[in-house]
Amino acid sequence: MASSANNDRPNHRTARAFCLTSAFWFAAAASFGMIGAGYLIAPDFMANIGWLHFGKARPMHVNLMLFGFVTPGLLAAAFYYVPKLLRTALYSEKLGVFTAILWNITLPIGVVGLAQGRSQGREYAEWPWSVDMLIVVLFALVIFNLVMTVRRRLEPIIYVSIWYVCAAVILTGTTYCIGNVIWKPSTGALLGIPDAILLWFYGHNVFGLLLTPLGLGVAYYVLPLATRSPLYSHTLSLIGFWSLIVVYTHIGTHHLLQVPVPTWLKTIAIVDSVAMVIPVMVFLINIWYTVQGKLGTIHADIGAKFVFTGTIYYFFVNIQGSMMALPQVQRVTHFNNWVVGHAHIGVLGFAGVVAIGGIYYVLPKITGRPLYSRFLADLQYWLLLIGVTGFAVVLTIVGLIQGNAWLNGETVYRVLPEIHLYYILRASLGVFIISGAYIGLYNIFRTLYFNPGAATACE
Amino acid sequence: MYYPYFITYMLAGFVISVGVFIWALNNGQFKEQQRARFLPLEGELETQPVRGSRMGRLETYALFSLACCGLLASAAVLAFALWRAP
Repeated sequence: MASSANNDRPNHRTARAFCLTSAFWFAAAASFGMIGAGYLIAPDFMANIGWLHFGKARPMHVNLMLFGFVTPGLLAAAFYYVPKLLRTALYSEKLGVFTAILWNITLPIGVVGLAQGRSQGREYAEWPWSVDMLIVVLFALVIFNLVMTVRRRLEPIIYVSIWYVCAAVILTGTTYCIGNVIWKPSTGALLGIPDAILLWFYGHNVFGLLLTPLGLGVAYYVLPLATRSPLYSHTLSLIGFWSLIVVYTHIGTHHLLQVPVPTWLKTIAIVDSVAMVIPVMVFLINIWYTVQGKLGTIHADIGAKFVFTGTIYYFFVNIQGSMMALPQVQRVTHFNNWVVGHAHIGVLGFAGVVAIGGIYYVLPKITGRPLYSRFLADLQYWLLLIGVTGFAVVLTIVGLIQGNAWLNGETVYRVLPEIHLYYILRASLGVFIISGAYIGLYNIFRTLYFNPGAATACE
Repeated sequence: MYYPYFITYMLAGFVISVGVFIWALNNGQFKEQQRARFLPLEGELETQPVRGSRMGRLETYALFSLACCGLLASAAVLAFALWRAP
């Protein structure tokens, strides 16, 4: 099964398969998100379609975004750059392709399970137990392939991107098992407060220990390469990596500050949330110094443009995150649409945009041809930029209206008419995002297949 | 019954991290940091970078403006929340 380092030129079939997987599920996930947005405007929207009501469309949207679009998109770039940085071939392209196929079997099973109402009812952990087990297997396969590639490396130094991608899959493989309580197949949950604590350790770590390190790994690879600049400091990047591992793992309980969980756990969560400023600023200072004076070059390269934009969203989402962990701020921002806006900036604005950038950056290298359409990629960029930024603005406003009203003792139903307009705006902005998703799918598909562009030397 | 699960969770991450850190230390992963900076560029330097354009610069300014607006909005919310705090 293993391919030798001396084999013929790599064909990058694994990276190709993950690119296509990500593009397809982005379109699907955005479609479910659009359905959810429709329900928020008109609660009887599609009311007769039982398998697609809001309570089912929403987890389909969220889980497909996390595990269908963003994770495979970031892994697609990783499956390209890990062998390249280690000067060896991927341990097994066959295993990689098998993983991608199994990935695309797992997700429809999950969607059908949710449509049948077999949700485990825990936010970000709704997949049925059978799908949980398949996802654990998928992570095990990815870990095996990447770790074996690292073991066979010809380059002794492990570049920071590889640290990030390996940490992401290993830690998530572990936390997925624990956070989804896979030893209790019938419920996938504990009872009461302990379940909430465990769930939010997992829920926040899906972003913190999966999407964040995968995204940073792509940024650390793409931006120096696109600008032909050496990394400002590799030592600094390792400090950022280890501080993220230390700090990010324990902050999930900041979702539960209003809940009777142990105070020491809340304190850890708040302190570590604020301390997240350290790894975040270490990364941003490092990567922005690396590309200093070369913003024109970045914006001339569509992949780098997406990735750099993702780093700006990363800055915002983390500044927000540190702020939102403060109990005084949470009194206004928690349990309302502010948090939804925050999640969209993080998952789509940072990780999703970086994933698309990584795909667009590696596609010409793995196909040996230019992108099918630079224009479509640019169009997708602006659609997503307007969509995500608009989402952030609208949902932040809605969140402040809700938070302030509840702080003043208003009841929920009296606030709803006030925010209806914003839900319409939100759905309108969703049209930008869903359009971008389908345009991206077409562009990526045409780049991989039926691409009329002139062939160049394939790496 | 509160503690075993999330202490196991925290310990699992901690033990894995410490183990890997010790391996990295012994494996020389914190040496040759100057060479490590250039690793992505190896085998790539012969290619000329893509040239910037006027449109690209305009996009840069637009993004920078967006970033400033977002930062100001975040600061305003923080100030508002602290002002409203009882």
